[in-house]
Amino acid sequence: MSTTELIPLRNKWKTGVIIPSLLLVSAVPVFAHNIEKHFKVEPHSVVTIHNPNGKVVVKAWTKSEVMVIATHTSDKVEVDAEQSGNRIDVMTHQISDSISPEDLQADYQINVPEDAELQIHDDSGEVTVANVMGDMNVETVGAGVDLEDAAGYLTVKTVGGSFQCVRCSGRLEVSSISGSFKLLSLHSFHVHAQTSKGNILFDGEFLPNGIYRLKNYSGVIEVHFSPGDSFDLSASSLKGKVNSQASLTPPSHPQNVPKFGNAILGSFNSGHAKVELSSFDGTINILKRN
Amino acid sequence: MATISCRDFQTQHEGTNDALRDVSAQAHIRDCASCRSFIEDLGAIRSVAHSLEPADAEPPARIWVSLRAQLEEEGIIRNAAPKSWFVERFGGWFNSLPRPALAGAYLCALLAIAFGLSGPINARINRQRWLDGTESSTTPLSAHLMSAEQASFSSPVASESPVTASLHKNLEIVDNYISLCENSVREEPDNEEARDYLYGAYQQKADLLAQMSERRLNAEAPGQ
Repeated sequence: MSTTELIPLRNKWKTGVIIPSLLLVSAVPVFAHNIEKHFKVEPHSVVTIHNPNGKVVVKAWTKSEVMVIATHTSDKVEVDAEQSGNRIDVMTHQISDSISPEDLQADYQINVPEDAELQIHDDSGEVTVANVMGDMNVETVGAGVDLEDAAGYLTVKTVGGSFQCVRCSGRLEVSSISGSFKLLSLHSFHVHAQTSKGNILFDGEFLPNGIYRLKNYSGVIEVHFSPGDSFDLSASSLKGKVNSQASLTPPSHPQNVPKFGNAILGSFNSGHAKVELSSFDGTINILKRN
Repeated sequence: MATISCRDFQTQHEGTNDALRDVSAQAHIRDCASCRSFIEDLGAIRSVAHSLEPADAEPPARIWVSLRAQLEEEGIIRNAAPKSWFVERFGGWFNSLPRPALAGAYLCALLAIAFGLSGPINARINRQRWLDGTESSTTPLSAHLMSAEQASFSSPVASESPVTASLHKNLEIVDNYISLCENSVREEPDNEEARDYLYGAYQQKADLLAQMSERRLNAEAPGQ
């Protein structure tokens, strides 16, 4: 039964006016609030972003300026973007006591100078950062984190969010409980990645004197290597398996071989980098790069 | 005089300070560089251990009292189980502690235990320390954390937000690893790696509980 059948014919003209009007009125609250702000900054500026829920996209540009474009739909939240010296603070905060998680949502598109330092806190949603060369600290609960062409000291901490890093360099420290990591085309001299229930894929360079520590409790740790790579390898899984396609020279100190679980130790070529892979009951695969 | 073997020597003297009082041991040390080094290592470990004594591996009882009372007050856990003796004794201390300090207290307490017991020490001493200290430290710790976890799952707040649900889900994951690691350590007390995984899991759980507590405080005081 359609709504029209319940309305007398003589009132049909009213229906034609009133219903669209009502729809228009009811649609008002979902209109997005758009905010755009620009801030002039000096070199090595700091940008902090606190967002409980939503997408945060940060891209570097060549201007000495930070641009913040924020969008939110609820009237129960406010977006603040303020400058304090060479620091820009961006924050979503609630202005109502009763608020649903959906009301908290705000999306950001932020442009920063290449050398900006970022501190991002985003509980749920998504964080994407591209071409930023400054140090970076990202913390999320469920939000996934994607970094591209990032450098500096990168620290990422999630609870369940996944992490992907493409063409990152510098120093990388990432931890999670159930998030999986993909570290692709990496050019980092220090990588420390730990997740409990997640997979870790490392497909990057092993730089001379670099240290690469990947650890999980369960899941798969997969590392790709090329014939020209040079690293000392220590791979151990307490309750799981270790599979390696690398031809290793046995260690000169056999007493370092773990007494428990499955382990592979040795040097690949000259052993310039240090690669430590460990898992509680997961599988470790060391595979030749295709 | 017949000298003793390295194995016997190290077994007899690993946990004591009496190595040089025994004539046969003295003779053995004179001839055996390895055991001389072993004794020197033990001495170094003892001196380091003495210097660390003030930072007791077992946190004071008031820490647990405070944390439990705070979690109960905030509704994260319920007082289902009878209070332990130290709760009875020290329960009144809680109210004098500042609330913000409590969010990270779990983490601090756990880190104290973890770092206090996971130093670079001889494997045989590790075994003894596990039997003597770790188990007795981690048992009440595990009980407290488990209690907090179970109660927070039944909290109505847990279902309000996907983020809170995610935190609880991950807490469950960490609990599972704690259980697996505990079993592993019990089966193989000499397994330092298993113990490291256990401490790592405790640390993660403490971190999560601190996060949850902090979120709750923030939710109670929005805009602050």
